[in-house]
Amino acid sequence: MKHDIFKVRNIGISAHIDSGKTTLTERILFYTKRIHAIHDVKGKDGIGATMDSMELEKERGITIASAATFCEWLDHEINIIDTPGHVDFTIEVERSLRVLDGAILVLCSVGGVQSQSITVDQQMKRYKVPCIAFINKCDRSGANPDRVIKQLREKLGHNSVAIQIPIGLEADFNGVVDLLSMKAFYFDGKNGEIFRTEDIPAELLQEAVKKREELIEAASVFSDELTDAILEEKEITESMIVTALRSGTLSRKLTPVILGSAYKNKGVQPLLDAVTKLLPCPHDTENEALDMDNDEAPVILTADPKKPMVALAFKLEEGQYGQLTYIRVYQGSLAKGDTIVNVRTGRKVKVGRLVRMHASQMEEIESIPAGYIGALFGIDCASGDTFVSPGLSYTLTSMYVPKPVISLAIAAKDSKSEVNMSKALNRFTKEDPTFKTYVSDETGDTIISGMGELHLDVYIERMRREYNAEVTSGVPKVAYRETITRKAEFNYTHRKQTGGSGQYGRIAGYIEPAEEEFIFDNKVKGGAIPTQYIPACEKGFKNCLAKGPKMEFPVTGIKITIDDGASHAVDSSDMAFQAAARGAFLEGYLKAKPVIHEPIMKVVAETPTEFQGTVMGSLNQRRGIIFGTQDEGTMCVIEAQVPLAEMFGYSTILRSLTQGKAQFTMEFATYKQVPQSVAEELMKKAAEDKKGSQKK
Amino acid sequence: MLENGFILRHPLGKLTGCESEEIMPEGGFGAVMARAGVGKTALLIQLAIHSLLCNNNVLHISLNDPVKKVGLWYKEVYRNIASQYSIADQEQIFENMLPHRFIMTFEVEGFSVPKLKERLTGLMEQNIFRPHVIFIDGLPFDESQIEPLSDLKVFAKNHSLKAWLTVRIHRDEKPDSDCIQAQLNSVEDLFETIILIQPEGKEIYLKALKGGKPDSVATGLSLDPTTMLIKESDWIKRT
Repeated sequence: MKHDIFKVRNIGISAHIDSGKTTLTERILFYTKRIHAIHDVKGKDGIGATMDSMELEKERGITIASAATFCEWLDHEINIIDTPGHVDFTIEVERSLRVLDGAILVLCSVGGVQSQSITVDQQMKRYKVPCIAFINKCDRSGANPDRVIKQLREKLGHNSVAIQIPIGLEADFNGVVDLLSMKAFYFDGKNGEIFRTEDIPAELLQEAVKKREELIEAASVFSDELTDAILEEKEITESMIVTALRSGTLSRKLTPVILGSAYKNKGVQPLLDAVTKLLPCPHDTENEALDMDNDEAPVILTADPKKPMVALAFKLEEGQYGQLTYIRVYQGSLAKGDTIVNVRTGRKVKVGRLVRMHASQMEEIESIPAGYIGALFGIDCASGDTFVSPGLSYTLTSMYVPKPVISLAIAAKDSKSEVNMSKALNRFTKEDPTFKTYVSDETGDTIISGMGELHLDVYIERMRREYNAEVTSGVPKVAYRETITRKAEFNYTHRKQTGGSGQYGRIAGYIEPAEEEFIFDNKVKGGAIPTQYIPACEKGFKNCLAKGPKMEFPVTGIKITIDDGASHAVDSSDMAFQAAARGAFLEGYLKAKPVIHEPIMKVVAETPTEFQGTVMGSLNQRRGIIFGTQDEGTMCVIEAQVPLAEMFGYSTILRSLTQGKAQFTMEFATYKQVPQSVAEELMKKAAEDKKGSQKK
Repeated sequence: MLENGFILRHPLGKLTGCESEEIMPEGGFGAVMARAGVGKTALLIQLAIHSLLCNNNVLHISLNDPVKKVGLWYKEVYRNIASQYSIADQEQIFENMLPHRFIMTFEVEGFSVPKLKERLTGLMEQNIFRPHVIFIDGLPFDESQIEPLSDLKVFAKNHSLKAWLTVRIHRDEKPDSDCIQAQLNSVEDLFETIILIQPEGKEIYLKALKGGKPDSVATGLSLDPTTMLIKESDWIKRT
């Protein structure tokens, strides 16, 4: 590990599906001599790329889990996390961007800014991660980097600035012109490993000069020195421009754009140069913790190995040697043998083995200093836990965990599979906070929930392969909700006074729709309900939300205000008021015109224009509302909102409608009221299911 | 689409002398002319929102902006309108408008009127969307557009459509005696209504160069520079 923290870069590689992230990482590892042979993501040799170590990843040609590695370039240490592109595995991107200092946003020069590009950009914004854009696949037919740069501005709001122009495009893509040094770069050798610098081809000189002027103008906003040099017509050196670009990039007010083709081994070395010159080191980023001993006052952490240790566990992996916890140290140093404290549980743990990861391989190390990422064995914790030196009580904010949108009922085929399935589910839910499981009280079914069909499909397959658990899966369950549409009053008395100590509580108030999930407002005056019972009232109401009275779906969007009530000196208690709250809720709820809401997904389908009408028709048939279409040359992007309930199996249908040429992404948008016909169907089905389970 | 108790007039009614919802016949073309950045898109979207509130299906075609940005324009302008006219239940009304609005975006170089006709025909034949009014933002006007625009007019008439188009004019180009800019000279006959947005000092005036009532210059409308809404229109009125 490097001791000069200014020469460390912790970066993530994120993008839409199939933009070339893993291929790019493979080339980075090759040129930095971490690996000695290049293997394709879905290559004929069956070996697969270094960072796709899971069998399932190699077979399907997709990245499922994020993978960490490190390399050296220009005397800098670069720690890289390669992330998946599918929205199903979004938690991997969340956790990676939470702990990294910079990122490479990979964009396809044909597809441009696509739906998951928008999602990962939002994730980078959430964690304030500066980024460089790498426009990949410039060798492909239809490559248009200028259009992609324009899309970066228009769709993502980036101040994107090209620092290169291509030498040829599509099949003629041959190299790049670097606008900083005003030289042409070529990549010779079997794997592009021979980096050659030449003068700019004559036919590109004029364009290069023009683009360099645009670059300098954009960069000058971030540097007085550069601005002065422009105004005074002095020589503008490369280092002036780089300093200005770095300042703009670190403040996230400028996005440098690099071009290349990872698969054709072009453009990767300049990208590595840009990572060292333009992306932040751990010292450049501000990391904040909350001091739990001081009313959660924010505290700025410093990447100083001598200070008390503060670290974040961001990923867990169960392996043959036990739980491997990936950890980023923000302050201080974590050494073998140290005693550290898990702030969430308060437990002290002794640090055993410490390792650094290179995809699935490990290298033993003695310590992880501030600014570095490593992993520890044998520590029981959860993703998002903060570890500190004893005596400190700081906590780091965890990563954002989106809620699952799709569920599936699963059942083991035999008793042996049942045991193994249980072990598998325990492990997977621990590793992946977006993957949840529970047993249905009513049917006894084991339900798994996740971010998409692919997400659940992958876990079922992993159960089979890694745990020998054969499971069958049932129809996915949609996460319906119930809510109310108007205000209604309640005035309920819970009374059980038949001799001896009884129960008594009266609650009056009203229930009304709200924007938030649940609001409880106490407007009781004059002690009509004694203050000590108010929390019990709230608890009683809250407990009713889990299963709505209409269809037993979770209730959301409710505001309950209590303004009157009554109590009994002897018979009132917390339990009595909880029961009164339940009764009051039921009374008010049924008068408040409850309705069922269903999850509506934002669906973005990309299709050749010849299939545009067909695809739109297929979405229309699924109760979809098409908001618009974006014509992008030979491709068309259709944006729609479609109920999740109608989207199961859509990938197969889309494939067959478009000869496999279209693809779509889907993410949660909002909840909307179901049409009356759908509500009636749901009620009919619920009644049938209830009848069936009663018979059993 | 508005609840009972509201009367809708046309936002440009005071200029054109036609206060009712209809200021153009079927197959009619309207132009909104202005220099860059003066308010063409904002005015166009107000007209589109008016059409939506009149329960018409609106097809918005943008040659400048992506779908998301156009969507944001609608949200922003609608919010200002709802605030100005104190429309209750504004969120619900906006949600109800969305299925009646379809946005299509094209790159300028990839757009052509034949392509638009093809797309429109596809949408209508497959019952995906049947517009009543089309708004085209960003179409460059030059000599080559005469024939395609004439074709589009015939298409609009055959399908009972109306269309509003934005026309960008340039500071350096002098208008003719009727104040019609060079861009529209060759296609002026296709337009029933031509509205010019003209900044003068701190005010932004709307002038009906064609299709206006005779004294419309005197009783002209203007845009509020803060919200870009038509100031004196009062096109949404409580009964």
